Order: sequence, then C-alpha cells, then structure tokens
Amino acid sequence: MGKEDTSAKKRRKLNNSSSEISKQPPVDVYKRVVEFEESEAQSRSAEKDAILFKKFCQDVRQLFADIAELKAKGTNESKEKINAKRVEASLLLVALKKLNRLEKVRTRAGRDALNKEKQRVDSTHLLLQNLLYEADHLNKEVTKCLQFKSKDEEIELVPLEDFYKEAPKDISRPEITKNDEHQLQLARLEWELRQRRELAGACNELVSSKERVSAAIAAARSRLVALAPHLRDVLKATKPLQECLALRLDEKRDETRAASLLPPPLFLLYANGSAYSDVLGAAHVTVGISGDEDEARRLDQLNTSIENDILVSNDSDSDQDNIDDDQAEKKKRYHRTTKISKEEKAEAKKKQVLQKHPLNVQISVKIEDGTALNLIFFYLVNLKIVVVKFIMSFPRPITGVSAADVLNSDSILNELYPGDNGNDSPHPATTYLLNAAGVTDHFQNFIPEVGRPYIWAQRMCGLDFMAIILDDPKQYKPIVPSQSLSVVTVENFIFTIKKRLEARVELMKELQDLESGKILPIKNNTPIRLSATLTQWQSVGWPEYSQSPSTAFLIAEGLVTAENMLYRAIVTRQSAKLVALVALSSDYPKKAPLFSLTLDWNGTHHAGVNDDVRDIERLINTNWDTNDSGPQTLSAQMTKLLTSIDILLETSGSVEFPPDKVMLKQVRGRNRMKPYKILKQGPGLFVQY
Amino acid sequence: MLDKMLYNTVLCQTYSPCGKYLIAGNIYGHIAVFDLDAILHPVIELLTPDYNKPKHLHLLENKTQICSLATTDNFLIVGTVNEISGWDWKAVVQSKLSKPAWTIKISNQLKIDETDVNSLWFNKEENKIYAGCGDNKVYVYNLEDGRRLNTFDGHKDFIHSIHGRGKQLISAGEDGLVMLWDTRMGKSHNKLEPHKKANISRPEIGKWIGSVALDEDWIVCGGGPRLALWHQRSLDAVMVFDIPDRGIHVSFFHEDCIVAGGAAKHLYQLSYSGEVKVELPVSATTVYSAELRTSPNKLLAIAGSSPEIDICTSFKYRDQVLHFR
Repeated sequence: MGKEDTSAKKRRKLNNSSSEISKQPPVDVYKRVVEFEESEAQSRSAEKDAILFKKFCQDVRQLFADIAELKAKGTNESKEKINAKRVEASLLLVALKKLNRLEKVRTRAGRDALNKEKQRVDSTHLLLQNLLYEADHLNKEVTKCLQFKSKDEEIELVPLEDFYKEAPKDISRPEITKNDEHQLQLARLEWELRQRRELAGACNELVSSKERVSAAIAAARSRLVALAPHLRDVLKATKPLQECLALRLDEKRDETRAASLLPPPLFLLYANGSAYSDVLGAAHVTVGISGDEDEARRLDQLNTSIENDILVSNDSDSDQDNIDDDQAEKKKRYHRTTKISKEEKAEAKKKQVLQKHPLNVQISVKIEDGTALNLIFFYLVNLKIVVVKFIMSFPRPITGVSAADVLNSDSILNELYPGDNGNDSPHPATTYLLNAAGVTDHFQNFIPEVGRPYIWAQRMCGLDFMAIILDDPKQYKPIVPSQSLSVVTVENFIFTIKKRLEARVELMKELQDLESGKILPIKNNTPIRLSATLTQWQSVGWPEYSQSPSTAFLIAEGLVTAENMLYRAIVTRQSAKLVALVALSSDYPKKAPLFSLTLDWNGTHHAGVNDDVRDIERLINTNWDTNDSGPQTLSAQMTKLLTSIDILLETSGSVEFPPDKVMLKQVRGRNRMKPYKILKQGPGLFVQY
Repeated sequence: MLDKMLYNTVLCQTYSPCGKYLIAGNIYGHIAVFDLDAILHPVIELLTPDYNKPKHLHLLENKTQICSLATTDNFLIVGTVNEISGWDWKAVVQSKLSKPAWTIKISNQLKIDETDVNSLWFNKEENKIYAGCGDNKVYVYNLEDGRRLNTFDGHKDFIHSIHGRGKQLISAGEDGLVMLWDTRMGKSHNKLEPHKKANISRPEIGKWIGSVALDEDWIVCGGGPRLALWHQRSLDAVMVFDIPDRGIHVSFFHEDCIVAGGAAKHLYQLSYSGEVKVELPVSATTVYSAELRTSPNKLLAIAGSSPEIDICTSFKYRDQVLHFR
C-alpha cells in the first residue's frame, strides 16, 4: 500500500512538475528546478519527511529480505517476483534519494538564514559602538569647554571701586554692570585696554625723547673729544709761563696720575697726607709719590684681570704648593744634589711673598730749625701690610756721638704710640701667608730688609687689624681701608711726629751740651752754686747697662728694656765719683729719663745698699718733690742730680766737703734723710720733706 | 716719672690688739692695713693676685711722713710731724679713714721747724705715752686727758729711739747719747756715749745711735757706732757685736737673744755672747722697723726702705713678702 501511495505521490509530482514546466516558458531549467526544490523543501515538514524516510528504509529492508527468501526458493515464479520486488526497491531508493536531497536543501536554507541574521546583529552592534564613542567624545568636548580659561583672567585689572570712580560712564555703565558680572568684566577690560593704550603712547613719546637727548649727548661728547688736542696745545703753550712763574701745576698733575695707580691703602695715605700738606703748608709737611709708574700700571692691569681668580683658587694653590713640597722632600731623599736649587727656590719664594708695590708714598715732616724726617711708606702686595723706612736730613751736621744716635736710630719712631715698636706684623694672617708661601722664617727676620710695620702706619693707611681680630676669625673677609680711620690717624700722626721730632732735636741739643759737659740752666729757678761737675756723658750698650747692680731694680720692675736709649754720666767732686746710668725712653720727654746711680766714695754705694743714693734716685726718678706732674727734662734732672750729690757730700761731715748750702737740718728722722728738696726762699733753702 | 711708691720707705709698724692686722706707715703719709689672717692662712680658691697687698691704704690728711706707731687696747697711736693722733681700732680697719679720735699737738717755737715724733713707747700700767721727738725732747702724755705730764730734756740733737721698762726709760739720739731716765723724777740719772769708745765707734758712719732697748740688767744699742750690749749698772760694754752693717736702726731683746738690723742685707739674731744665731735676709735696703710678737702666733714683720715687707712666722727664714704699694 505504501508503494502505491508513493507512486501516487510520484505521479502527482510528476504531474505537477510537468504541468508547471508546461505552463512556464523553459527559461532556465536548472534555476527553476532549484527554485522548485527550495519551495518544496519549504512547504514540506521536516519531521514528516524524517518519518517517511524511516518507513521507506524499513520497506527497502523488507524487500531485500523478501528477495533473499525468494532467491532461496529459486523458482521462476520467484524470479518474477524478484524482479517486481527489485523495481519496487529501486523506486523506494529513488524516493529516499529525493528525501535526502530535500533535507540537504532545507539545511542549506537554514544555514543561510542564520548567516543572514548574524550579519544583521553584527552591523547593529557596530552602530551601537559608534554611537557610544561619539557620545563620549562629545562629553569630553563639553568638559573642555567648561574648563576653558579666558585670557582676561590673567590681566591685572583696576580694583572695582577705582574702576567705578575713574572710568567714564559710557564704559562703566553702572546700571548694567552692577547686575551683570560678565558685562562688568567686559567693561573693566575695556577700561583697561583704553588706559594701556594711553600709557603705551606716553612710553613711546618718552623713548623718542630719550633718543633725542642721547643723540645730543653724543654730539656734545664728540665735540669734547675734538677739544682735547686743543687743550693740550694750550697746555704746551702755557709751559713757559709756568716755568716763569714757578708754579708746580704739571708736577701736581703727574702726581695725581701716579696716585690713581697706588694701592688703596697708600692712596688713602697720599690723599689725606696731601690734604694736610695743603693746609699746613709745604714748609711743614710734604707728600710725594715715587717708584716705577709703568710697573705699577702693569700690576694694576694684571690685578683687575685676575683678581677674581685669585680669590677662588687661593686654597687650591696652597695645596698644590704643599704637594710640590712633599714631592720635593721625597726627591731629596734620593738626590741630594737638588739642595742648591731648593735654596734658590726658597729665596724666590721669599721675594715673591715680600713683594712691594712698585710705587711708594713719601711723607716728609719738617720742623722749624730745618730738621726733616722723610718717611717712605711701602705696601707689601702679598702680605697686605704697610712698612715704613725713614731718612733724616739735618740743616747742619751734628756734633757728638750719642747726640747723633738720638736722631738717626730706629728709636725715633719707637713708641710713638704706647707699645708700638714695629717689631712684628700687626696683621694676624701674616704668619699663615708666609707659611702658605713656603717661607718658614718669622716676619721679624725680614724687618731690616723691608722696613718696620708700625701700627700707626697701618692706621694711617686706614687698615685696622684689630677689627678683624674682634670679628669671627674663621670668616675671612678682605680688609677694606677705612677712610675715617686714615683721616683721624694722619692728623694725629703728623702732630705726634712733629712733637717727637721737636723733642728729639731738643734732646739732641741737650745731649750735645751734656757731652761737652754743659748743663742748661733751668728757667725760673734760683741758680744754685754747684760744686760737682759732669765730666763725662756717653752712650752705653745694653750689656753694660744691665750688668750694673744699680739697674737691677729698674730692670726687674720692667721699667727699662733694651729698647731704651742708654747713657752713662759721670759726675765728680774731688775724690767722690758718681756714675749715673740713664735710660731714655723713645717717648722722651713724655716719659722722663730714669737714673740709676752708683757712688764711689768710701766704698761703692747704690740704691740697693745705700738709702742716701736711693733717696736721690727717688728725687730724680719720681715727681715726689714737685707738685706738678709735667714732664721733666734731662737737664732739669741732671741739675737735680748735681745738687743732690752736693747735698749728700756736704752733709757727710767730711772735711773734704764743707757745707755751703743753706740747710735747715742736715739730717732728719729715723731714716736720717738729707735735705734734697729745695724751697724757693731766698738763695734756696734745702729741706727733707 | 715713676710712681713714688717704688721708692717707698716704711718707718714704723705695729700690730692691732686683736692680732689680725699689721699696720705700717711710710714717709709719704700712707697707713697700710694688712689683713694677716688672709695672708697667713689664705683660702686657695679665693686667692687674688693682690692678696699680699694692703687691705686698706689710708692717706693722712696732712700727708706728712709717719714716723712712729704704737698700739693700745683702744687706739692706734700715730706719731707724725708736730702731732700725735689716736684712731679707734674700728675706724682704722674700715676702708675709709675718718678723723682721728684725738690729737695731741706738740708745741714748737719755730713755725718752719717741724718736730717729728720719731719714737713712741706706751706704758700700759700707767696709761701714759712717751714720745721721743725731733726737738731733742721726750714728752710724756696722759692718755686719759691728753695732758702733757712731763718733758725729758737733755739730748742735744733729735731723738731716734726710746724704750722703757717699769720705772725706767732709755732714749738714744742723733747726738750719740744714750740717756737713762727715771720716769717718776723726770731726770736723767745715767748716760752712755758709745762713740767715745774706740772699739765701738765708727766715725765714717757717724756718732748717732739709731736704736736702744732695755732689759732687766742690760742695754742694747747701736747706730753709727757698733751694736753693743751694755751692763746697766756698771755701764760697761760687755759685748761688741761684729756684724757687717752700715748703721743700726733696729735692736731689741727677745728670749735671751738680741734682734738687730739696719743698713745691712740681713736682720740678725744674736746671743749675748756675740754669736750670730740667725741671719734673716731682708728686702729693704735699710731696715727701720722689725715688729715681733709671740701671741696669738709667732710673727716677725720687717720693713724699711723698700715697698716690700718681709714676714717670718718662725723667726728663722722669710716666709712671705708683702707689697706696700
């Protein structure tokens, strides 16, 4: 039955197909077949086809089983039946094939549909992505816009109140701007712009006027430059006139030019010194510059170019030196022959460190009788101190050995100010600088060579080393010469040195007299007949002075040192001989001379063993007997000495010395004091107290 | 000009009754008060460089030389020129010296002639002060009312030194005389003239007697003439001391010894037999004052023509040096 069914179907199919074909023009058979198959596959249900397929398969299997059974029988009948059955089976196979094809078509159609759907989804997704990205970008743009800073915020605007006060109404428009902040800002910006424009205009005007002025200056300058040769000509023309009138204008000019090359300390000294020279007149003080000007100019240029370098590389230099030294030391161990060159090197180093500035300042101080002291101030470039040498000039030759010493020896400049003997550098860094330069000697050893570094000389040049010591020593700073210090010191010094010179000339005269045995009479004093005489006056050395037992006391008290000028006076009267060792301080007559006495009469007596000698020393060395504390001159003291020795001898009771002076009491008190004090009564009355 | 204190000369010294202070007077009219406690028992921590300088330095109003000093229980008695003054001890040890508690003027005929009070001796039992003066006289004053009780007149030149014992007083002067006085009678009953004895006199120094002292039986004196020990009753020079001096200014008895000094390098302690027991080196060129005490502690202060005063606690050697300047 099934078979029939299928054949029926087939037929119908065939009919259908044939009818369709017949109906439609045979355009493209294959295409039509495909279309047909597709529509057929669509219209049929897949489940039903599956059941049909299973049934056909069952039928085929049944047919094959029947054939096999029939074959086994082997009859003709059966052969026919087999044929029939074979046909039937073949038809079934065809139907199976058709079903398979239909299924295939259907599968393909499903797959195509799926792909189509997938593509649609993909494109939709892509669209979505694009939209999201766009949205994001727009968001960013929005924030950017929100964060935008306008240029106008950076502009400093006039404060609000000022704006309303100053701006014209058409800009400020208060009725709008008071309420609208944006408008206010715009208005203010506008006001600002207008103001700035105005200012820029003013600025341009000023610039142009400045250019005009500078052009005028340049013109004037060029005119002045053109003037210079003319002036030079004029100067040349006036030269004969100057010579004729004995004016020192040219020299002054030369000196001023040289002064500009002086190192700052010496320049200060020169400036202040010449100021005083102008005030006091050339007869008292003259100031000059001497030395190699070209050398100075070269040094000046050198200094300005390397000044900064030195400051920086100073330390490293000294280190380098040390290393060099070390190496030299090492070498020396192996090569003893290098010794000589080393000495030369040391000499060169010494020269280098003690280098003087090529220019020096000369100050000459003159006093009335014509004696002049020429002070030469040198500046040690590397040690940065000022040293002094001096030359004396006299109007007439000095007679007397000890007298000449008074004016010529170093002592004339000693103790001008207390404690200032110029024996060591006042600069605290000198030792360091010497060491750094590899010079092991102390500065004192170079003093005879370079000159004495008196503190007053430093101060005259405005250098005050005390100030540095007081400051933090670690904090090195270059010393700047002080103008005010120099002014004060130069004035003070000129008067001090004049006084000293006058005192020395006075002393020299006194000494000349003393050497010839004369003692100047003292003014407003009653003359006393003196029997003792000065028989000798000469200078002595420290060894002789210090060995005398009479001076032990003064030396022990530190009142006399080797710095003092020392003399020996011998006073005699008949058999008595008095030796007086006199120590004169550099500061004479401010400090009185100190006498140490030794009396040779009935044995040797000095103040250490004899009260009478001690009493005389007290009288001469202290101002016990006078009420005025004024300075005592050497002559006055010598007179006192002679008087006292007369008194001592005359009160001794010896027949050799008859008393011829009026004494109230020859001795008085338990200490049996002799009347050394003189009362100004009549011819002079001698008393003890 | 030097400070005159470098040439200081101390003429006299004394101790305060409490024993704490040494007082010294010089020719410039200064009275120096040394605090002995601080000097002898210094506290090392509190030691200052000027510990051996005077605690106080008083300058007398008239600035005359201070010739002599004496101590009573209540007063420091100062003999200067033309007057003797007494200061309360309390006033002396203050930093500023007030006016003296009392003053005795010594009358003198000539205005210009000044009278030094060279030596003072205080008699405790009688409460009298004896003053050997520059006008050749010894005056006796009652310390109760300051009245002059007596005048011993006999010397022909100024008196260097006086000393007393009981009813006896002895004086020595520039005239070379040593006179013994009876204090009750006010008369001299004996006198010595050492310069007239050949083995004692030293004419090159002078005939003056610088110092004299009394013991029960003995007199010691010296000056220009040599230091000698005399027997009081027989007035014989029993012992002439051979010491290298150029004049004696200090001599006194102390425990079977004689202490003597003057223009010499040493202060000597001598036995009656002439033996030199101790030679004390001194700072002064000439010793004008040596003050010895045994209570509250042993102390000897030696001063003279020097700004230094030597202090000995053992009497054997110099312990310390004080500076009177």
